[in-house]
Amino acid sequence: MENLSAENSLRIITETLERSRNAIAKNTGKPLILWGALVTLTSVVIWALWAKSGSPMWNMLWFAMTIVGAIGTYFMTRNQEKVPESEPKRILGCVWKWFGFFAIGLYVLLWVTALILYAQGNESVVTINLSLILSLMMGLCGAISGAVMKMKSVTAAAVVATILAVLLVLLVPNGSPLQILSFAILGVVALIVPGVIFQKKTAK
Amino acid sequence: MNETVKSFQPLDPLLHSELRLAVMSVLLGVPEADFVFLKAQTGATSGNLSVQIDKLEQAGYIEVTKGFKGKMPQTICRITDQGRDAFAAYVEALRSYIS
Repeated sequence: MENLSAENSLRIITETLERSRNAIAKNTGKPLILWGALVTLTSVVIWALWAKSGSPMWNMLWFAMTIVGAIGTYFMTRNQEKVPESEPKRILGCVWKWFGFFAIGLYVLLWVTALILYAQGNESVVTINLSLILSLMMGLCGAISGAVMKMKSVTAAAVVATILAVLLVLLVPNGSPLQILSFAILGVVALIVPGVIFQKKTAK
Repeated sequence: MNETVKSFQPLDPLLHSELRLAVMSVLLGVPEADFVFLKAQTGATSGNLSVQIDKLEQAGYIEVTKGFKGKMPQTICRITDQGRDAFAAYVEALRSYIS
Protein backbone atom coordinates (compact mmCIF):
# COMPACT_ATOMS: atom_id res chain seq x y z
CA MET A 1 0.00 0.00 0.00
CA GLU A 2 1.33 3.43 -0.94
CA ASN A 3 2.42 5.82 1.79
CA LEU A 4 -0.45 8.21 1.15
CA SER A 5 -1.85 10.36 3.93
CA ALA A 6 -5.60 10.81 4.34
CA GLU A 7 -5.23 14.52 3.53
CA ASN A 8 -3.33 13.71 0.35
CA SER A 9 -5.95 11.18 -0.71
CA LEU A 10 -8.70 13.74 -0.27
CA ARG A 11 -6.64 16.33 -2.14
CA ILE A 12 -6.17 13.94 -5.08
CA ILE A 13 -9.91 13.19 -5.20
CA THR A 14 -10.92 16.86 -5.02
CA GLU A 15 -8.32 18.08 -7.54
CA THR A 16 -8.97 15.30 -10.05
CA LEU A 17 -12.74 15.75 -9.87
CA GLU A 18 -12.41 19.51 -10.32
CA ARG A 19 -9.90 19.20 -13.19
CA SER A 20 -11.95 16.65 -15.10
CA ARG A 21 -15.16 18.64 -14.53
CA ASN A 22 -13.50 21.74 -16.00
CA ALA A 23 -12.09 19.78 -18.95
CA ILE A 24 -15.56 18.44 -19.74
CA ALA A 25 -17.31 21.80 -19.35
CA LYS A 26 -14.66 23.56 -21.48
CA ASN A 27 -16.03 25.04 -24.72
CA THR A 28 -19.67 24.51 -23.69
CA GLY A 29 -20.31 28.21 -24.29
CA LYS A 30 -18.83 28.45 -27.79
CA PRO A 31 -21.80 26.96 -29.70
CA LEU A 32 -24.16 29.23 -27.72
CA ILE A 33 -22.12 32.30 -28.73
CA LEU A 34 -22.07 31.19 -32.39
CA TRP A 35 -25.82 30.49 -32.53
CA GLY A 36 -26.58 33.67 -30.58
CA ALA A 37 -24.57 35.76 -33.05
CA LEU A 38 -26.28 34.04 -36.00
CA VAL A 39 -29.80 34.50 -34.56
CA THR A 40 -29.13 38.17 -33.77
CA LEU A 41 -27.57 38.91 -37.16
CA THR A 42 -30.26 37.01 -39.09
CA SER A 43 -33.14 38.70 -37.28
CA VAL A 44 -31.65 42.17 -37.89
CA VAL A 45 -31.04 41.36 -41.59
CA ILE A 46 -34.57 39.94 -42.02
CA TRP A 47 -36.10 42.96 -40.26
CA ALA A 48 -34.17 45.37 -42.53
CA LEU A 49 -35.00 43.52 -45.76
CA TRP A 50 -38.63 42.87 -44.78
CA ALA A 51 -39.17 46.51 -43.77
CA LYS A 52 -37.61 47.73 -47.02
CA SER A 53 -39.29 45.30 -49.43
CA GLY A 54 -42.51 44.67 -47.52
CA SER A 55 -42.17 40.95 -48.18
CA PRO A 56 -42.16 38.45 -45.27
CA MET A 57 -40.50 35.96 -47.65
CA TRP A 58 -37.16 37.12 -46.23
CA ASN A 59 -38.00 34.89 -43.26
CA MET A 60 -36.69 32.06 -45.44
CA LEU A 61 -33.26 33.29 -44.37
CA TRP A 62 -33.82 31.39 -41.09
CA PHE A 63 -33.27 28.17 -43.05
CA ALA A 64 -29.99 29.51 -44.46
CA MET A 65 -28.99 30.46 -40.91
CA THR A 66 -29.67 26.90 -39.72
CA ILE A 67 -27.37 25.50 -42.41
CA VAL A 68 -24.63 28.06 -41.68
CA GLY A 69 -24.97 27.30 -37.95
CA ALA A 70 -24.74 23.54 -38.46
CA ILE A 71 -21.61 23.91 -40.64
CA GLY A 72 -20.10 26.40 -38.18
CA THR A 73 -20.75 24.09 -35.22
CA TYR A 74 -19.16 21.18 -37.09
CA PHE A 75 -15.96 23.11 -37.85
CA MET A 76 -15.89 24.62 -34.36
CA THR A 77 -16.05 21.27 -32.59
CA ARG A 78 -14.06 19.22 -35.12
CA ASN A 79 -10.61 20.00 -33.73
CA GLN A 80 -11.62 20.29 -30.09
CA GLU A 81 -10.17 17.86 -27.57
CA LYS A 82 -12.51 14.87 -27.29
CA VAL A 83 -13.97 14.74 -23.80
CA PRO A 84 -16.61 12.50 -22.20
CA GLU A 85 -20.12 13.86 -22.36
CA SER A 86 -21.40 14.89 -18.95
CA GLU A 87 -25.10 14.62 -18.15
CA PRO A 88 -25.69 18.42 -17.98
CA LYS A 89 -23.91 18.90 -21.32
CA ARG A 90 -25.98 16.12 -22.92
CA ILE A 91 -29.23 17.65 -21.61
CA LEU A 92 -28.15 21.09 -22.86
CA GLY A 93 -27.48 19.69 -26.34
CA CYS A 94 -30.85 17.89 -26.37
CA VAL A 95 -32.79 20.99 -25.24
CA TRP A 96 -31.41 23.22 -28.02
CA LYS A 97 -31.52 20.50 -30.68
CA TRP A 98 -35.21 19.88 -29.96
CA PHE A 99 -35.89 23.61 -29.93
CA GLY A 100 -34.40 23.72 -33.43
CA PHE A 101 -36.51 20.78 -34.62
CA PHE A 102 -39.71 22.27 -33.18
CA ALA A 103 -39.00 25.76 -34.56
CA ILE A 104 -38.22 24.52 -38.08
CA GLY A 105 -41.06 21.97 -37.94
CA LEU A 106 -43.59 24.60 -36.91
CA TYR A 107 -42.38 26.97 -39.62
CA VAL A 108 -42.55 24.31 -42.35
CA LEU A 109 -45.97 23.18 -41.14
CA LEU A 110 -47.33 26.72 -41.36
CA TRP A 111 -46.01 27.20 -44.87
CA VAL A 112 -47.31 23.84 -46.08
CA THR A 113 -50.80 24.37 -44.64
CA ALA A 114 -50.89 27.93 -46.04
CA LEU A 115 -49.91 26.65 -49.50
CA ILE A 116 -52.50 23.85 -49.40
CA LEU A 117 -55.25 26.23 -48.32
CA TYR A 118 -54.17 28.75 -50.95
CA ALA A 119 -54.14 26.05 -53.65
CA GLN A 120 -57.70 25.16 -52.67
CA GLY A 121 -58.71 28.74 -53.34
CA ASN A 122 -58.96 29.60 -49.68
CA GLU A 123 -57.53 33.08 -49.28
CA SER A 124 -57.99 33.47 -45.54
CA VAL A 125 -55.67 31.13 -43.72
CA VAL A 126 -55.38 30.57 -40.00
CA THR A 127 -52.53 32.70 -38.69
CA ILE A 128 -50.68 32.31 -35.43
CA ASN A 129 -48.10 34.62 -33.93
CA LEU A 130 -44.97 32.60 -34.65
CA SER A 131 -42.65 35.24 -33.16
CA LEU A 132 -44.50 35.00 -29.84
CA ILE A 133 -44.47 31.20 -29.74
CA LEU A 134 -40.81 30.88 -30.74
CA SER A 135 -39.72 33.66 -28.37
CA LEU A 136 -41.39 31.85 -25.48
CA MET A 137 -39.86 28.51 -26.53
CA MET A 138 -36.40 30.05 -26.90
CA GLY A 139 -36.63 31.80 -23.53
CA LEU A 140 -37.77 28.57 -21.89
CA CYS A 141 -34.80 26.68 -23.36
CA GLY A 142 -32.45 29.40 -22.12
CA ALA A 143 -33.92 29.20 -18.61
CA ILE A 144 -33.62 25.38 -18.62
CA SER A 145 -29.98 25.68 -19.75
CA GLY A 146 -29.18 27.87 -16.75
CA ALA A 147 -30.98 25.51 -14.37
CA VAL A 148 -29.19 22.44 -15.78
CA MET A 149 -25.76 24.11 -15.52
CA LYS A 150 -26.68 25.44 -12.05
CA MET A 151 -26.04 29.03 -13.14
CA LYS A 152 -28.68 31.39 -11.81
CA SER A 153 -27.34 34.33 -13.85
CA VAL A 154 -28.04 32.40 -17.08
CA THR A 155 -31.60 31.57 -16.00
CA ALA A 156 -32.15 35.20 -14.99
CA ALA A 157 -30.80 36.40 -18.36
CA ALA A 158 -33.19 34.08 -20.20
CA VAL A 159 -36.18 35.25 -18.15
CA VAL A 160 -35.32 38.94 -18.74
CA ALA A 161 -34.79 38.28 -22.48
CA THR A 162 -38.13 36.47 -22.74
CA ILE A 163 -40.02 39.29 -21.00
CA LEU A 164 -38.39 41.91 -23.28
CA ALA A 165 -38.97 39.82 -26.43
CA VAL A 166 -42.61 39.06 -25.57
CA LEU A 167 -43.26 42.73 -24.71
CA LEU A 168 -41.84 43.75 -28.09
CA VAL A 169 -44.01 41.20 -29.92
CA LEU A 170 -47.13 42.28 -28.05
CA LEU A 171 -46.53 46.02 -28.30
CA VAL A 172 -45.94 46.27 -32.05
CA PRO A 173 -48.77 45.55 -34.53
CA ASN A 174 -49.16 41.89 -35.48
CA GLY A 175 -47.38 41.08 -38.73
CA SER A 176 -44.99 44.01 -38.42
CA PRO A 177 -41.34 43.31 -39.37
CA LEU A 178 -40.38 44.83 -36.01
CA GLN A 179 -41.62 41.68 -34.26
CA ILE A 180 -38.72 39.74 -35.71
CA LEU A 181 -36.33 41.82 -33.59
CA SER A 182 -37.56 39.86 -30.56
CA PHE A 183 -35.09 37.19 -31.71
CA ALA A 184 -32.26 39.72 -31.70
CA ILE A 185 -33.01 40.40 -28.02
CA LEU A 186 -33.13 36.67 -27.27
CA GLY A 187 -30.00 36.04 -29.34
CA VAL A 188 -27.98 38.53 -27.31
CA VAL A 189 -29.46 38.06 -23.83
CA ALA A 190 -30.42 34.35 -23.85
CA LEU A 191 -27.60 32.93 -26.02
CA ILE A 192 -24.54 35.21 -26.32
CA VAL A 193 -24.50 36.39 -22.68
CA PRO A 194 -24.93 32.84 -21.23
CA GLY A 195 -22.32 31.58 -23.74
CA VAL A 196 -19.81 34.16 -22.52
CA ILE A 197 -20.65 33.32 -18.87
CA PHE A 198 -20.13 29.58 -19.57
CA GLN A 199 -16.82 30.27 -21.30
CA LYS A 200 -15.54 32.50 -18.49
CA LYS A 201 -16.56 30.02 -15.82
CA THR A 202 -14.90 27.03 -17.49
CA ALA A 203 -11.75 28.94 -18.47
CA LYS A 204 -10.80 29.33 -14.78
CA MET B 1 -11.21 8.80 33.79
CA ASN B 2 -12.97 9.00 30.47
CA GLU B 3 -10.79 7.95 27.62
CA THR B 4 -11.88 8.30 24.05
CA VAL B 5 -10.36 5.69 21.81
CA LYS B 6 -10.33 6.78 18.21
CA SER B 7 -10.93 3.92 15.79
CA PHE B 8 -9.50 4.11 12.30
CA GLN B 9 -11.36 2.28 9.59
CA PRO B 10 -9.19 0.21 7.25
CA LEU B 11 -8.48 1.77 3.86
CA ASP B 12 -9.09 -0.27 0.72
CA PRO B 13 -5.52 -0.98 -0.49
CA LEU B 14 -6.68 -1.06 -4.10
CA LEU B 15 -7.92 2.51 -3.93
CA HIS B 16 -5.17 3.77 -1.66
CA SER B 17 -2.88 4.50 -4.57
CA GLU B 18 -2.41 7.92 -6.16
CA LEU B 19 -3.08 6.88 -9.75
CA ARG B 20 -5.90 4.40 -9.11
CA LEU B 21 -7.59 6.96 -6.88
CA ALA B 22 -7.30 9.60 -9.61
CA VAL B 23 -8.72 7.21 -12.24
CA MET B 24 -11.68 6.38 -10.01
CA SER B 25 -12.25 10.08 -9.25
CA VAL B 26 -12.41 10.90 -12.98
CA LEU B 27 -14.77 7.99 -13.71
CA LEU B 28 -17.03 8.96 -10.85
CA GLY B 29 -18.10 12.14 -12.62
CA VAL B 30 -18.72 10.80 -16.13
CA PRO B 31 -20.76 7.96 -17.64
CA GLU B 32 -17.57 6.71 -19.36
CA ALA B 33 -14.14 7.95 -20.35
CA ASP B 34 -11.59 6.80 -22.89
CA PHE B 35 -7.95 6.01 -22.21
CA VAL B 36 -6.71 9.25 -23.80
CA PHE B 37 -8.89 11.39 -21.52
CA LEU B 38 -7.87 9.42 -18.42
CA LYS B 39 -4.21 9.81 -19.37
CA ALA B 40 -4.61 13.57 -19.82
CA GLN B 41 -6.48 14.01 -16.55
CA THR B 42 -4.16 11.89 -14.43
CA GLY B 43 -0.87 12.84 -16.10
CA ALA B 44 0.19 9.18 -16.02
CA THR B 45 2.28 7.33 -18.59
CA SER B 46 0.44 4.93 -20.90
CA GLY B 47 2.19 1.89 -19.43
CA ASN B 48 1.48 2.74 -15.82
CA LEU B 49 -2.10 3.71 -16.57
CA SER B 50 -2.72 0.40 -18.39
CA VAL B 51 -1.43 -1.57 -15.41
CA GLN B 52 -3.60 0.33 -12.92
CA ILE B 53 -6.69 0.06 -15.14
CA ASP B 54 -6.15 -3.71 -15.30
CA LYS B 55 -5.98 -3.89 -11.51
CA LEU B 56 -9.19 -1.90 -11.11
CA GLU B 57 -10.91 -4.05 -13.71
CA GLN B 58 -9.81 -7.29 -12.04
CA ALA B 59 -11.23 -6.01 -8.74
CA GLY B 60 -14.55 -5.36 -10.48
CA TYR B 61 -14.37 -1.62 -9.78
CA ILE B 62 -14.43 -0.63 -13.44
CA GLU B 63 -15.53 -2.12 -16.75
CA VAL B 64 -13.22 -1.86 -19.73
CA THR B 65 -14.37 -2.10 -23.33
CA LYS B 66 -11.80 -2.29 -26.09
CA GLY B 67 -12.79 -1.40 -29.61
CA PHE B 68 -11.99 0.87 -32.51
CA LYS B 69 -12.92 4.42 -33.38
CA GLY B 70 -12.39 4.54 -37.11
CA LYS B 71 -9.03 2.86 -37.53
CA MET B 72 -7.75 3.87 -34.09
CA PRO B 73 -7.95 1.47 -31.14
CA GLN B 74 -10.05 2.82 -28.30
CA THR B 75 -10.29 1.76 -24.66
CA ILE B 76 -13.41 2.89 -22.82
CA CYS B 77 -13.63 2.67 -19.02
CA ARG B 78 -16.68 3.06 -16.84
CA ILE B 79 -17.15 2.71 -13.10
CA THR B 80 -19.27 -0.23 -11.83
CA ASP B 81 -21.74 -0.20 -8.93
CA GLN B 82 -19.19 -2.20 -6.96
CA GLY B 83 -16.57 0.45 -7.71
CA ARG B 84 -18.91 3.24 -6.68
CA ASP B 85 -19.65 1.49 -3.36
CA ALA B 86 -15.95 0.84 -2.75
CA PHE B 87 -15.14 4.50 -3.46
CA ALA B 88 -17.87 5.67 -1.05
CA ALA B 89 -16.56 3.30 1.64
CA TYR B 90 -13.00 4.55 1.02
CA VAL B 91 -14.03 8.20 1.47
CA GLU B 92 -15.96 7.25 4.60
CA ALA B 93 -12.86 5.51 5.98
CA LEU B 94 -10.73 8.55 5.16
CA ARG B 95 -13.01 10.67 7.35
CA SER B 96 -12.13 8.59 10.40
CA TYR B 97 -8.48 9.58 9.91
CA ILE B 98 -9.21 13.27 9.55
CA SER B 99 -12.02 13.99 12.02
